[in-house]
Amino acid sequence: MNHAIRADKFLLDADRTTWHDETLWFVREKRDKAVYAVPEFQELRELASQIKNHTLSRLDLYLREFEAAAQANGVFVHWAADAAEHNAIILDIIRKQGATRVVKSKSMLTEECHLNPYLLQNGVEVVDTDLGERIIQFRDEAPSHIVLPAIHLKKEDVGDTFHTHLGTTKGESDPQRLTEAARQHLRAKFLAGEVAISGVNFAIAETGAVVVCTNEGNADLGVNLAKVHIAAMGIEKIIPRLSDLGVFTRLLARSATGQPVTTYTSHFTKPLPGREMHIVIVDNGRTQQLGRPDFRASLKCIRCGACMNTCPVYRRSGGHSYDFTVPGPIGAILSPNIDMKKHASLPFASTLCGSCTDVCPVKIDIHTQLYKWRQVLGEANEIPASKKWGMKFMGRVLASTRVYGLGGQFARRALRLLPHGLTHAPSFNAWAVARELPTPPKYSFREWYAQQPQPTSQPTPQVPA
Amino acid sequence: MSASRDRILAAAQANKPEELPLPTVPLFGGDATAERFTTVLAGIGGTVVWLDGLASLVPTLQKLFPDAQNTASPLFRGTVPVDAQTPTGILAAIDLAVLPGEIGVAENGAIWLPEANMLHRALPTVTQHLALVLDQRRIVATMHQAYALLPHTGGYGKFVAGPSKTADIEQSLVIGAHGARSLVVLLY
Repeated sequence: MNHAIRADKFLLDADRTTWHDETLWFVREKRDKAVYAVPEFQELRELASQIKNHTLSRLDLYLREFEAAAQANGVFVHWAADAAEHNAIILDIIRKQGATRVVKSKSMLTEECHLNPYLLQNGVEVVDTDLGERIIQFRDEAPSHIVLPAIHLKKEDVGDTFHTHLGTTKGESDPQRLTEAARQHLRAKFLAGEVAISGVNFAIAETGAVVVCTNEGNADLGVNLAKVHIAAMGIEKIIPRLSDLGVFTRLLARSATGQPVTTYTSHFTKPLPGREMHIVIVDNGRTQQLGRPDFRASLKCIRCGACMNTCPVYRRSGGHSYDFTVPGPIGAILSPNIDMKKHASLPFASTLCGSCTDVCPVKIDIHTQLYKWRQVLGEANEIPASKKWGMKFMGRVLASTRVYGLGGQFARRALRLLPHGLTHAPSFNAWAVARELPTPPKYSFREWYAQQPQPTSQPTPQVPA
Repeated sequence: MSASRDRILAAAQANKPEELPLPTVPLFGGDATAERFTTVLAGIGGTVVWLDGLASLVPTLQKLFPDAQNTASPLFRGTVPVDAQTPTGILAAIDLAVLPGEIGVAENGAIWLPEANMLHRALPTVTQHLALVLDQRRIVATMHQAYALLPHTGGYGKFVAGPSKTADIEQSLVIGAHGARSLVVLLY
């Protein structure tokens, strides 16, 4: 199933699609307001881009520096080549504690590795504590956005879910009261948590600390009440210096939601005596992406979601239509690296308008990479035959003045003579599914121009009155 | 040392691009006034209250939080003594924590709170309400200046900017997600 087919399902509810589109555009507008208030914002983007480029160019050295610093802080550092190893390491740490109650804060990496189902299968109760993530965990759904995991749902949906799972009043859909119900429910989980799992926003090579940014405070509450903290990070989360956080903390929340900063920017460096802190460093395809010169810049991503909020395709197709942990434009350039065949339609889920590139806080050339993935997919024969042969045919037509002229004549005549049901048949004219073709003109511009009298001399320039 | 570690490091070394320079990050100037800090904090759901010197801390708190039963603070004798060993059950019942902040950031309303000022690592988020006490001369313009002032980040520390909040239900802002339901900054 490709992106377009999955998007069709989302589009069945027109009112909801419009709401989704407008809500995400509103987040984009909040982003703009926050960004314009910082005079040096473009300079910060450039600095962030350079810091990330530099870090990738010394990634092995910074990983070693980070590991040594973390170990000196009394932290256990683990390395996982892929999702299976990541999951096995985490289960092993939990089992050694004899623990069964795990609280987890937001981590796209653990989503990528499908950690939750693995832990549940192995008898570990893992509770997502970010409100949006808890909602979709109850519903057994995947997040549809990396910052706003439940943005595909309306408050009435959440009300129904909480009625079923938390016993809130049937029909209750007030966000304040629903959030309060979740707060009470999750407090009990926090207080009973034995092991806390968190993601990592930034890992500082010089100090060995991991930095986690949240608005809800769920990472801080979970980690600081549990005996063991496990932080899972991709190898690309490294930054060299503590002072680099000045740049990234100024960019992240403004780009994500238009806030000046997240409520909590927490630096976890050393465990308390008698407690444990573990960091799991994961590759899962990232070193391969590092080796692709055209696509390695995707590893600079700080997961703000700005490219999703601005994308005209994402806003109107929903995060689930991408069927990948990270949806939207950035997901469409990360996913083919993981599984080119499965995600072959994603680089085509774009108008190539470039808005994603314009808002990216670390200056990833997202739309250029989307275009380049299309070339790679074409070479690898991973595009549908209709698209492939259609493109080849149009390439021929557009390359020849004569064929193009004849084609135009033919099309104008055909549009006049053939029945509407045929020219607009959705089976072979996808463009006309929701659009009317224009009324064909009698002549092409070139035909009209050829009939005009030839100018006899150079026209005298007219001076406007 | 695991086999995966060696493989990941070898692959990163083999696949990385040619070395690129690390830029110097300027400090950037900006508005470091208490007025700016107050406006920004109000915009993210926090409140600034001015103290007439530290001596007026307790009477001010009594006025602001008349219903707080269980209070904890290193600045005055609260009703609940808290340290790093305090059990979870006792922490969970705290209504108000009053903690000294180290540095305020005018551009985003954040305050640096190191572990040494927290009594217990969980206290700033487990308490129902949080008050941070800050010397107005410790307000800087941006995050760059704040990080430049930190000698280190200790075992644990965080910037706190306003009360805990969420907008995960239909983008409706709700104050009081899992952490403190309100944040008051007491400036002196």
